Amino acid sequence: MGDNNVNLPPGFRFYPTDEELVVHFLQRKAARLPCHPDIIPDLNLYPYDPWDLDGKALSGGSQWYYFSRRTSTRMSANGFWQPLGIDEPIVTSNSDRKVGMKKYLVFYLGEAPMGIKTNWIMHEYRLSDTASSSSSRSSKKKTATKDASKWVLCRVFEDNDGSQGSLCDNDQELSCLDEVFLSLDDDFDEINYPN
Amino acid sequence: MSLSVNGQSQVPPGFRFHPTEEELLHYYLKKKVGYEKIDLDVIRDVDLNKLEPWDIQEKCKIGSTPQNDWYFFSHKDKKYPTGTRTNRATAAGFWKATGRDKIIYSNFKRIGMRKTLVFYKGRAPHGQKSDWIMHEYRLDDTTAVATDTIASNSLGEIVQEEGWVVCRVFKKKNHHKSLDSPSNSTNITSISKTQMLNSNNDGALDQIIQYMGRTCKKESDNINHFNFINSSNNSNIRVSRSPFEATIGGDRFMQLPALESPTFLDQASSSQECYHPIEAQLITDSETNASNVLNSVYQSNGLALSELDRLVASHLNGQTETSKQLACFNDPNFMFCTTNNNSHHDHDLQLSQLRSSANRLYHHSTQDYNSDIDLWNFNQSSSSSSDPLCHVSNSSV
Repeated sequence: MGDNNVNLPPGFRFYPTDEELVVHFLQRKAARLPCHPDIIPDLNLYPYDPWDLDGKALSGGSQWYYFSRRTSTRMSANGFWQPLGIDEPIVTSNSDRKVGMKKYLVFYLGEAPMGIKTNWIMHEYRLSDTASSSSSRSSKKKTATKDASKWVLCRVFEDNDGSQGSLCDNDQELSCLDEVFLSLDDDFDEINYPN
Repeated sequence: MSLSVNGQSQVPPGFRFHPTEEELLHYYLKKKVGYEKIDLDVIRDVDLNKLEPWDIQEKCKIGSTPQNDWYFFSHKDKKYPTGTRTNRATAAGFWKATGRDKIIYSNFKRIGMRKTLVFYKGRAPHGQKSDWIMHEYRLDDTTAVATDTIASNSLGEIVQEEGWVVCRVFKKKNHHKSLDSPSNSTNITSISKTQMLNSNNDGALDQIIQYMGRTCKKESDNINHFNFINSSNNSNIRVSRSPFEATIGGDRFMQLPALESPTFLDQASSSQECYHPIEAQLITDSETNASNVLNSVYQSNGLALSELDRLVASHLNGQTETSKQLACFNDPNFMFCTTNNNSHHDHDLQLSQLRSSANRLYHHSTQDYNSDIDLWNFNQSSSSSSDPLCHVSNSSV
């Protein structure tokens, strides 16, 4: 898994939290501040089918990251992205301040409304209106807000196993059996230690 | 770009040390035992006996990014000079192994083992179990010798140090969604999780059923790509990461895993043929809550698959004593029998037989250890060598 041009020892992966995506990448992008490292590319609008992102977007494990412009029609060459229900607010972990919103989308082959659903999922992050307007000056408020809100950051992955794009390709968490043994331990204790 | 990790500079934003088991063993531990230099001081040496789990996160942090797990090298210290047991006691408690060790593969070759341990506060046998879990990885003796990348001295002799292990420590997650978790579930599931968290025991069953129902619905959408992946690395059933305990019918579920991400990694793709019809039938034929509960448990609790098959069968036959049947799973004795039995189950059994067996199982398993007899009788009478389930009960431990 080559993580682009960042030279890190084995085991390091691009594995960002929602907050990092919004605060470190999206806010800086919108504010035209340099990103270090500048690793997430800007793919204009939504021209690529999800399986064509490899090599164009930043790959972190089996997920791809790129910037795009905010639009309501997310069309690619062979299909479109359909939003799923409600958006989720992104809040900072230390201050509970709302910094952005996360939208869930599914890729459909073909043309709306007749497309064929695929298992490609997108998380589309945008800055929340309050976050972008608070950082702008009063005189330039309107244009700044408009400018900041035009960027979105997309995470795309194929949801093969219903795991919502987990990067754990080996089971690093507790397996089901681990859980069972953990819960059994107490009972074994009672049996094993008659004293 | 080069950076020093445990020193001054930081890992760039968004990057985390999230090594695979193969990387841990084949890169880091192999270099460690072979006295090779590891470029960056990513994994530190610690004295496990002097380090409490809650101090590990400070000692083993990498950069300043938030972490959910921590890594270190440890040199195994023998409990008794003549024995082989390892001393894993600290000032405040001890690490106790649980389950069986798991074999770690790399390209179908066995390279090492993983031991799972739990931290108990206090002293055995009165320790109090904590949420701290450790995965202790060790290399196979044979792999170290057989591979060509190990260190050798000027005479060409193999130099390596015994007793080093690489450990990963983490806190067992509750089903509450962590903000640090980069891969999040959908909004809908997180909302229902929150509902469950905020609820007391009142109406818990309703909420669980609702929760499971939603999850099932989502999964039934995905049923076309509910993949049974041919596993290249392991034969384990990978299920969920966050167990939750819930009250149902007055009994406690045993650490029932969360339902958002059931993934079956199977070596035998033939199991697909076996599971799908039942699963599909459940979803389409019966939309009742009870079947959703059964189905959820069925999908997520890989351990008791064979038993659940029976329950599902009896349910399809009109039997709706769901809560009674589920109570089977609360009985540790029952679970233990299930995991250790090597018998095979035939799916084509008469449904009436299944139903009576399931009932018998329930009534007897709650009484005493002698109830095993019924279970065994049932298993023996229904054994079949062609059953794809056999590898689940045999090899997934």
